[in-house]
Parts: sequence; structure tokens; C-alpha cells
Amino acid sequence: MEIGGYAAGYCGRLFAQSGHDVVRVDAPTAPPAWSSQQAMDLYLHPGKRRLCTADNQLLAELAGSADVVIAEADSADAIDELGFDRWRAPVKVAITPFGRTGPKRNWQATAHVLLAMGGYTYLMGDPDKAPLSLPGHYVEFQSGGFAFAAANACRFANEANSVDIGMLEVVMALSQFTTVMWHCGGVVRSRHGSDFWSVVPTNLFRCADGWVYINIVPTFWDAFTVFLERPEMALDERFLNNEQRMLNRDALHALIAESLATWRKADVAARAEECRIPLGVVQSFDDVLADAHLAERGVWQRIEAAQGTVRSPRRPWHVHGEPALAPGFPASATTEPPNG
Amino acid sequence: MADGPLRGVRILDLTHVWAGPLATRILGDLGAEVVKIEAPMGRGPRQFRGGLPLGGWLGGGPPQEPWNVNAIFVKLQRNKRSVALDLKEPAGKALFLALVAVADVVMENFSARAMPSLGLDYDRLAEVNPSLVYVSMPGYGKSGPYCERVAFGPTVEPMSGLTTVMGYGADQPRNTAMALMDPITAVNAAAAVVDGIRRRQRTGKGAWVELSLHEGGVEFCGPWLIETQLGGEPSRIGNRHPQMAPHGVYRCAGDDAWVAVACRSEGHWQALCGIIDELPKNADREARIAAQDAIDAAITRWTVKRTKQEASAALQALGVPAGAVNITPDMTGDSQVQARGFFVPLEPGPTPMPGNPVKMTGIGSEDWTPCPALGADNRAVLQDWLGCDEDRIEALQRAGVLVDKPPK
Repeated sequence: MEIGGYAAGYCGRLFAQSGHDVVRVDAPTAPPAWSSQQAMDLYLHPGKRRLCTADNQLLAELAGSADVVIAEADSADAIDELGFDRWRAPVKVAITPFGRTGPKRNWQATAHVLLAMGGYTYLMGDPDKAPLSLPGHYVEFQSGGFAFAAANACRFANEANSVDIGMLEVVMALSQFTTVMWHCGGVVRSRHGSDFWSVVPTNLFRCADGWVYINIVPTFWDAFTVFLERPEMALDERFLNNEQRMLNRDALHALIAESLATWRKADVAARAEECRIPLGVVQSFDDVLADAHLAERGVWQRIEAAQGTVRSPRRPWHVHGEPALAPGFPASATTEPPNG
Repeated sequence: MADGPLRGVRILDLTHVWAGPLATRILGDLGAEVVKIEAPMGRGPRQFRGGLPLGGWLGGGPPQEPWNVNAIFVKLQRNKRSVALDLKEPAGKALFLALVAVADVVMENFSARAMPSLGLDYDRLAEVNPSLVYVSMPGYGKSGPYCERVAFGPTVEPMSGLTTVMGYGADQPRNTAMALMDPITAVNAAAAVVDGIRRRQRTGKGAWVELSLHEGGVEFCGPWLIETQLGGEPSRIGNRHPQMAPHGVYRCAGDDAWVAVACRSEGHWQALCGIIDELPKNADREARIAAQDAIDAAITRWTVKRTKQEASAALQALGVPAGAVNITPDMTGDSQVQARGFFVPLEPGPTPMPGNPVKMTGIGSEDWTPCPALGADNRAVLQDWLGCDEDRIEALQRAGVLVDKPPK
């Protein structure tokens, strides 16, 4: 049983796509989303049975018949008000912005607020502008992923447990090197636009028909000079090692920008593959939907919508030798065969 | 080691960089017995020739054994054991296969060609352990037109479509520059492992489970991809939100100090109007979206007179979702995470490390162990898992198959 917003919904999506019988309890209104409610429904809820109720007695009865309950609410008190602690499911997971204990357990938050408090926002965007928040449902989906892992672990061990997931702690747990950089190096990590900063060149560059991102860690430097058709750069003292490239960042970026400005992104990607350097092109959502690689790997599921069939990505892992959808997934959502 | 529901699950961890080690850290936090299989030079010291590593040294410096105290590395390796052997040598490979035979899970995030080139692809591992759950996580997967591409989190991010909506405006795309695909894939991998061992528990069968940075990113973008097919046009709108207003990051008193504010409901808006007089109290959501420039300016006039902590506390006191844009000292000093004991002090140092966001009744972090030294558990793992006697272990050490420091 799942009840709540997009974290619980995402957790339920993983359960449904893994062959479980998921009942979703909808609230009368859904929280704001980064896309339409229809898109969220089509993404999160195929393969589930759904009902809408605010009757706590009915919730308790449903929970009592479930193996796993995933409950998400806006605060610790809101979880309590659902009657969570009285539910008799063997495995119960509560997902709240700040967790069920602590002085801020009833603070109000959205993903935007949690990304800020969790240390992500300060690191994104330009140094001379406001920090840039991350669009989308990262906080909710990651919390749902942790909930899925925790609940399944309890089921694996055949252990009953009540799990408390605070979404702020999810964000902080997924910090890169921000905390040790401060505690061990005494450095507050800061933001530098699209530039990763400590590895040069690692940035977004404009090409003739779009943008590409390169991430040239030192082992790829020589290959990068070949890729760029500037082999002389391999001997240029300004760029001999990463430390020199950091000192001469602007000059290097100017040379790269000059080279890439006239190349088309498809050619850039092909050449990067040939030279074996890490590079990705900025793809629109239409590009992603038309991407031959994703099609060949059977990423898409077909979902029936009022407007016709749409494609949605399957769960993010795949078991070789098995269809991408688990047995029992409803016919309204079928996996698109390879190559469309 | 950590206690938890995955106690007794044996995981051989061949992963490196961020996504893989973070995944196995999550699993270790849940109680799995994670043994890190490390190449003798896997921790360096080549990468330290430039001096201080990006995250600094644990326990201060200069260190005697830099490979064991690189903070970025150590942060991801708690609750694991370390066995250092060379998979490129026949004896090392044979020892690894012996460990595979008694393991539950093998995880790796090498390039698509790495494990086959070692002669250690899934088919070979399944020969010695048919019930193995093998998890591979190359950047673009092991098949398809991009499978040979070199992938790092920052380069895969734009391939997922995320850059379409990430940035300050139509012609100002931005990369998160924090390798966002890695933590997404890490959580996916942890979920996939637990799903895989439950599947094995149910069917008795092993499996080859595959996931990629690319597909993790595409799955994250799923709602936008569906919206696009429904005729929508998701775009870059900076810190604003398509369904919430106000929704922004506002300057506060102090150097580069900011507070994030979001009104998710009418109640939040009314509460915000209660503290900032000049806001149009009667504006509904559509009116607020239309008047965002003026509303943002009014909020900024209020926030710039306060520190980020004062602003967030004042707004939260009235029930408005708000939070300081924290830097690390703010994060570790936050009263909420302190009260919940989220940051766990691990040696050396002790250094506060982000804890496990999964809090289970009866399971804490008291028994956690810090990152082991390179090869610190060679002997213990070979005894525990393989029943090796002292003579064999010493022979393997003398032959250089097992090491506990990088070769000179």
C-alpha cells in the first residue's frame, strides 16, 4: 500500500514494475508537480490499483492487509494523524521532509527547500548569480528509492520494522565530496556555472547546432587534443597538467570554444566516440525519445493515455533474459520491443 | 560493521569512483557484508602527485599512507572490508573466482568492455556460482550504439534531457556540475540489488542485473518525457516552478547568503503575506505566476534585511516552506540533523560523515566501522569465506597475489 505524494508514488512505481500488487491511496488533491498531473500519473501509477479515501479506519484495514506500507506526508504530525503507528503491516516506511523526530520535524518544505538545506543548491549555478535549484523530483524519487531498498531488505530478512526516512537526510546522504572538503580540507565548495572547476576542461560548450559537455580528467587529455584537432596543445606548457590547465582555464576554454563553434553536435559526438573521450551532447526531450540507443535497449514502455499511446521509461534496471516488465504488469503498459 | 536486515548477504564490490561505491555503502549501511576487491594501485598513489586531494586528507596531513586517508575515497567505504588483489594476474583471478563461488552479489561499474576483457563476464562468474546476482553498471549499458562511449556523470547528464530544463533561461543551459547521474544510479543500484536477492530468494535463480547512468537519468526525466508527448514544452525557468509561485532563491544579509522559499498552497501564500505586508494577499496562483517579478522583488526587500537563518526561521514560524541555502558548516550544524544524529563521526579524526537516511527501529550507527586500509581484511576474508589456512594465506602474500600497500 502506498499513500502520499511523489516519493511514495515513485517507491510504488518500483514495486509495481517489480511484479508486486500495489494499491495506491490517493489524496483529493495532488501536490504541485514539474509536469502536468496527467504526466505524473502516467509515469508513476501504471500497474497499480487506486482508491481515494481520507477514512483512517479504512486506511488501517488496508494497511493491515498489506505486506509493506509506504506512507509519505508533509510532516511528522501528519504521519501520526494518519494513524501510522497503529497500522499492523509488518513493514512500514514513513517518508517526511525532516523525519519523524527532531526540532524541525514539523517544518514545512518542498523539494526546493530541502535541496537548499541539504547543500545541493549552493553548488549549482553561476558564482555571480543566485544559486540554481534543481528542477524535477530528485528529492522525492531518491527518497522513494531508499524506501524501496529498505522495505525490500526487511522483506528479504522476513523482519518486521518501522522505517523513518527524512528527505533532508536523503539529500545530505547523497552529497558528493562537499562535507569532507570542509571537514578535512577546510574548503567550502562553491559553484562555477557548468564548470566542475577542479578538473579542466570540464564544461558546457556551444557548437554549431547546440551544446556539448566535456569532462576531460587528466588521463583523457592527450586523446582530447587529438579530438580537438589541436595536437600542439599536448606540448603547450600552459596545459601540460591539470594544475596548469586550471591556471590557464580561460585560454583553454577559448580554444575549445573556437574549435567546437563550427562543428555539429552529431559530428562532435561521433568524433568523441572515435577518440574515446568523455563527452555528451545536450539532448532535447524529443531527442531522447528518438534516441536509437535507448530504443535498442528496450527502455520504453507503452502506456495508454486519453490522447493515445505514450512512452515511459521502464524501471532503471533490467534483468537479462527477462522482459523489461515483470509478469503480471497490466496490458495497458507493455514494453516497446527493441528498435521500436 | 553495520547491523541491518541485509546481514549475511555477501557482496563483492568491484566498483570505483562515485555511483558504485555509494551504492555499496548504502547496502553496507543496511547490514550487507561488503568486501571491496581492490587493485593494488586502485587507491593511488599516482593521483596524489599534485598534492592535496580535492577532499583533503582524513586526520590531517601529511599522511604516511595517503592511499588510506584520501577523504573523498574514505567517505564512501565505511562498513566494508578490503581485499587487495590483482585481477589481471591468473592467481588473483583464481582467488577472485573462489570468492565469487561463495558470494551472493558481485557489483561492478567498469566500462562495458572491462570485465569481458578480464575473462570475468557474467557467464564465467555464473559458471562458478549459478545463484549469483551480478550487477553491472556501465555508463551507457553493455549493449546498444553507445555502449563503447566513455561516460562520466557530468557528460551523461545532458544526454538524459535534463539540461533542457536546467539553467537560468532559454539560452542559458547549465549542467549541475555535480555528477548528478551518479547518486541517481547509486540509489537505483542499491534498489536493484535488494530486488535481485529477493527474486533469487523466490525463484532460486541467479541473475545478471544491468543498469546505467544514462538510463537512470532518462528515468529521472520520465515525467518531462511524457509531458512532451502530451504536447507540453518543458523549458528552463531558472528557480521558478511551473505550478508554484512564489518559488525562488532570495538574497539575504551576508556574503553570498540566500534563502529558498516555495509556496505550495494557498495557506502558505497567506502565511507569507502575513509577514511581508506589501504582497498582494488576494492574488490566486495564476495571478501570482503572472506577477512573479514583482513578488520576487518584494520578498527580496524583506530577506535582504535578515540573515538566511533568521529569514528561514521567521518564515517557518508562520508555516511557510523556507530553508537557508546551506554550505557545509550549516549542514553539519543544523539542529535537526544533530538531534537525529545524522552525521556519524568516523575515525580517523573523527570526521563527521553523512549517515544513513534509512532509520530503522533498533538499528543505529554505533557498530559502524570506518574505511579499512588497503588489503586490511585479506586474511580475515580468506579465512571466513574460503576457510584458508595460514600457510596458504602467507604463500599468497609472498607471491604478491595479496597486497596491503601499493607496489613501489
